[in-house]
Amino acid sequence: MGLFDGDIMKYEDWNKISRIASRKSLWMVHFCTGCGAIELPPVMTSRYDMERFGMGSMATPRQADVLLITGYLTVKTLKRVVNVYEQMQSPKYVISFGSCPINGGMYWDSYNTVKRLDRYLPVDVYVGGCMPRPEGVMNAFLELMKLIDEGKARGWEKYQKYYEQYKRNQKMAFNFEREKDEGA
Amino acid sequence: MKALELIGKGEEMHGRAYIKSDKEEASSIIKKLKENGFDHFVMLSCVDWIDNNEFELVYHLWSYEHKEHVMVSIILPRDNPSMSSMHELFPQIETYEREIHEMYGVDFEGNNRLTPFMLEGWHDMPPMRKDFDSKKFAEDVFDSIPEIKEEEDEGI
Amino acid sequence: MVVEKIAVIALYTTIAMFVGILFMGVGRKIVARVHNRVGPPVYQGFIDIAKLLTKKTNISHGWIYDLALLFSMTGIMLTILFLPIGGVKLLSMEGDAFLVLYLLAIPALGFALGAGASGNPNAAIGVMRALVMMLSYELPFVITLIALMIYYDTSSIAQIVEMQHAKWAIMIPPFVLAAAVADMALQGMLMEAPFDISTAPHEIASGPMAEFGGKHLGALMIYKAGTIVAYTTLFVDLFLGGGVVMHDGSVLAYLANFAVWFILIFLVFTLSLLINTSFPRFRIEQAFKFYWKYEALLAFISLIWVYLMVIS
Repeated sequence: MGLFDGDIMKYEDWNKISRIASRKSLWMVHFCTGCGAIELPPVMTSRYDMERFGMGSMATPRQADVLLITGYLTVKTLKRVVNVYEQMQSPKYVISFGSCPINGGMYWDSYNTVKRLDRYLPVDVYVGGCMPRPEGVMNAFLELMKLIDEGKARGWEKYQKYYEQYKRNQKMAFNFEREKDEGA
Repeated sequence: MKALELIGKGEEMHGRAYIKSDKEEASSIIKKLKENGFDHFVMLSCVDWIDNNEFELVYHLWSYEHKEHVMVSIILPRDNPSMSSMHELFPQIETYEREIHEMYGVDFEGNNRLTPFMLEGWHDMPPMRKDFDSKKFAEDVFDSIPEIKEEEDEGI
Repeated sequence: MVVEKIAVIALYTTIAMFVGILFMGVGRKIVARVHNRVGPPVYQGFIDIAKLLTKKTNISHGWIYDLALLFSMTGIMLTILFLPIGGVKLLSMEGDAFLVLYLLAIPALGFALGAGASGNPNAAIGVMRALVMMLSYELPFVITLIALMIYYDTSSIAQIVEMQHAKWAIMIPPFVLAAAVADMALQGMLMEAPFDISTAPHEIASGPMAEFGGKHLGALMIYKAGTIVAYTTLFVDLFLGGGVVMHDGSVLAYLANFAVWFILIFLVFTLSLLINTSFPRFRIEQAFKFYWKYEALLAFISLIWVYLMVIS
């Protein structure tokens, strides 16, 4: 911080430059969960080209900035997704597609899917629909870029700050034990 | 239909042959069908007749030669269901039996790969049984997980 | 005099990195147009590197992992200094063709150290494949280099550039064949398809780059920009006259030579990109067989042809 006390550049301006660089080249992890992954190939190929915003897909989470949760998450997948999210380097963002991460969606009474993603991972942008069309997906990317520009996409800071609460929620989902009531 | 002629019993139901049998002779029926042209094993399914207190295991086979679909059905008691495994006849039955063991609780003797398949860390009743209340389970487990409480000075 | 020389060296190294990063962005645009898409803006390379260098957490796997990138970057910068850029000789000397061949191996060594220190098995597989690739494309490339050295009777790349002032090497019949062989070796050097085996994203999770993120990946991309400029400049210097069109040493000559060099390396890079978009990926044994069987045979034919031309 000493370098920025008015010597070369103000800290807010440096943050602004780093946010411009961050929003103009978002790289997504090529790990698409759930049934919404079918909406990603049209967005990536020549009809609704997402590379014109600078977005591309990378093979490993260490190299990527944004994690797309496309659809429902089972408990089994949630363990792996948390692993992937923790390997990414900040600043990192999460976009969730569909209505399943919002409130359970079509699987609202299922024994195996996670109902509200917000309790396990910090989500920056939600896209409604089952599944959203490619235009909706592109809109979500633009919305995320706008939030980054205004400095409001702070999911990774939330995860660091409330780490114990997130971990407690994840453990409750992974190791659930119900008390046996009579007649069950 | 060819299958009914081969085995000598059963009836035609919706264009498919339906043969009822029991635990002991199921293996020999399926073996006989396999040797006579019914060499494609389609699937193994399980029905939970909770009012009659029994499980029904149905083995589906198809023959490309005769273009016929045959279903061999076996009734098991609901309290301690167990069946002998048929994975020597068709190797893919091992995976179907694993799924039915996890979802319904039916034990298959001779199949030594009945490990957890799709559910991780599951301690409860097998979930596809009809007396498993999925909605109550989802409410108990998932709705009891609290939201993330943020402190109030998070003025973003 | 020494201070002037150091200033010129620093200037040209910076220009080479700048040109390389610009080419990365333009390359993505060209590939996107081939795919009938719009593609990112041409300055996208700069934004990518800026984003990577401003990441807030940087996970490191030890000091070897941190230093490995320095190996690669210094290797490639050193290679650039021995190649005349637009006719400007930076550190050229007698026998620097052999020196450049040695220096081509240092970046791969840096990769190997970085991938080994990161401890990822995918990285180990990727590095092994990268080293096998390097072994396989060096054979036909060295044979064509020997053909050039026999014809021009010198072992300095700067001399080869000077002796092409009347006629480019590619206009002499045996060197058409040699240039084709060297262009295929260039595909391997640049790690473009069909030879992008070692950094394949779908097969081995991008190989040696698997654990790189943040500032390390930014340094890796700068290294990649350097390789683009270094290897295409090597090709242009050996076969296309190095971009030297005016020899009188005036300021206009410097600018004209620089412009022609820029256009020539851009054309060579575009050709390699167009081959990239048209081909799928080879397996490592197919690439090895391709280089050591067919390319080596063609390179030998051109070598014998040149020798017969020289002794007659």
